[in-house]
Amino acid sequence: MSALPQLDTPFAPPRAAVPTHVGQGVTPLPLPPRAPTAPNPWRRFWQGRYAALLMATLSIAGVLLFWQLATAYKLDAYIRFNNIPTPAQVLEKVVEVNQSPKFVTNIGISVRRILLGFAVATVLGVGLGVLIGRYRAARWLVLPAMEVFRPIPAIAWVPMSIMLWPDNEVSIVFITFLGAFFPILLNTVHGVEAIDPVLLRAARTLGAGEASLMRHVILPGALPHIFTGLAVGMGVAWVSLIAAEMISGQFGIGYFTWEAYSLISYAEIALGMITIGVLGLLCSGGIRLLAKMAMPWKAYSTGGR
Amino acid sequence: MDMATATRGRVDVRDLQIRFNVKGQEVEAVRSANIQVRPGEFVSLIGPSGCGKSTLLNAVAGFLKPDGGQVLLDGQPIDGPGSDRGVVFQQYSLFPWMTVRANVEFGLRMQGQSANDRAAKARTLLGLAGLLSFENHYPDQLSGGMKQRVGIVRALATSPQVLLMDEPFGALDSQTRVVMQEILTNMWQRLRISVLFITHDIEEAIFLSDRIYVMTARPGRIKAELTVPLPRPRTPEMTNAPEFTAMVREIKGLIREESIAAMGGELSEGGLAGLCTEVGPQGVKELV
Repeated sequence: MSALPQLDTPFAPPRAAVPTHVGQGVTPLPLPPRAPTAPNPWRRFWQGRYAALLMATLSIAGVLLFWQLATAYKLDAYIRFNNIPTPAQVLEKVVEVNQSPKFVTNIGISVRRILLGFAVATVLGVGLGVLIGRYRAARWLVLPAMEVFRPIPAIAWVPMSIMLWPDNEVSIVFITFLGAFFPILLNTVHGVEAIDPVLLRAARTLGAGEASLMRHVILPGALPHIFTGLAVGMGVAWVSLIAAEMISGQFGIGYFTWEAYSLISYAEIALGMITIGVLGLLCSGGIRLLAKMAMPWKAYSTGGR
Repeated sequence: MDMATATRGRVDVRDLQIRFNVKGQEVEAVRSANIQVRPGEFVSLIGPSGCGKSTLLNAVAGFLKPDGGQVLLDGQPIDGPGSDRGVVFQQYSLFPWMTVRANVEFGLRMQGQSANDRAAKARTLLGLAGLLSFENHYPDQLSGGMKQRVGIVRALATSPQVLLMDEPFGALDSQTRVVMQEILTNMWQRLRISVLFITHDIEEAIFLSDRIYVMTARPGRIKAELTVPLPRPRTPEMTNAPEFTAMVREIKGLIREESIAAMGGELSEGGLAGLCTEVGPQGVKELV
């Protein structure tokens, strides 16, 4: 004890300490007078949201302009625009295809396939994901089997799927399901694992049993990751659906696009592509909207988003 | 709400042993610790970091099974976590997806109470903690001190017999800490609940407690038991009282011996003294 004299000084409570401030007693240097700043309208415009809107319009207009010019002058510089339809031709096509119900039916069939496959993938992916993330036994039992199938792209399943399922429609929905399933599953597992264990402890001290823990802590806790999985899964589902429709389909917007190619109807190819793009955009927008409604607390969290 | 109601909430830790398996090596975290919290009493557990004080609290909370000895609540052995023991954690453990009020109501909801009863009780307690106007906020909208107040209120909502607090103010800045300590003593005085409070802050332990246990370095044992001589209600001015400063000195001495022991066998007291004078703070920091 006595070997430590410098530590043995009587303890003084911190409140009694004399407050010292950095820079105390220093005379501040006079600042140079600032030039009167005129309100710069240009600068203010750049900080407003109209600037972003204007740039977005310019960006899209640029693409359209390039398309128009390249097709009008039949640009042929390694990439060839000889047979590519002009924007005006595509616009005409929109009116034309809507005169018969075929086009809308194709869209409807694709959307139905997506929704079915995606819904099954969500239920199974989230369900299995929660089990795998929460219970070691489920993880050991199910995950190895999943890891076998995961590296196989959904499109590679097309021939097998046709053999496997009784009719073509189910096999396409199955491909769509496969595309969405793995991103949803893996993100859910990750979401459950990422839950702060102190929240589980807190819930248990408050009397939560396993079922309440699932419903009130694990599921909402994993929700941000689950929605990441849904967004990614939706994208892969569309990729898989279009490929499956092109290869094996009857009906569907992917089939429409591929058929247009077979029938040398170039404007319909472009129309099909744009339609697929718009549908994908609407679906991911829908998921973002759902996420916002399902997780109102996220609007206040610092960091994420 | 008076002394007479505090007949329950007695914690007995008898000869507690807890061992961990860390990478195949057995580590003894707590060795034959004996502590007692009497009904309505505020007891602190203080010791060097890593001494097993949180481990002991986790055993009382029911997160850990003792490897030896007994943990009793009102004479009954503890078997798993339960709402008869409210726990306040060092990290903010509020559910981010629930509003403040939903967080406080959670335990009552688990008990199957009706929405009206839950809301009434939650709002009473939130009012007591000065948080009623924040009932519909999400935890991410609150400051650290507010979050921890909600954490305390949530732990109290189920009317537990004991409140277990694991360095609850450790993450707060010192000004907020002082205010929180006063809020806690006020609430404790009204509710007359037993509290087992873990801290490494000596002043905090003395200011809050009726009794203080000092733990040794790992494996944790009880090195000393001290009764705080200060009267209730406590005021911030008491921290300048001679009894207070004397007690701080006493506990400091007790803990320093243990901290040196905890830092490793090679570090003798004489060696440490030489180190401090010759190398200075940077050298010591490296060593730690």
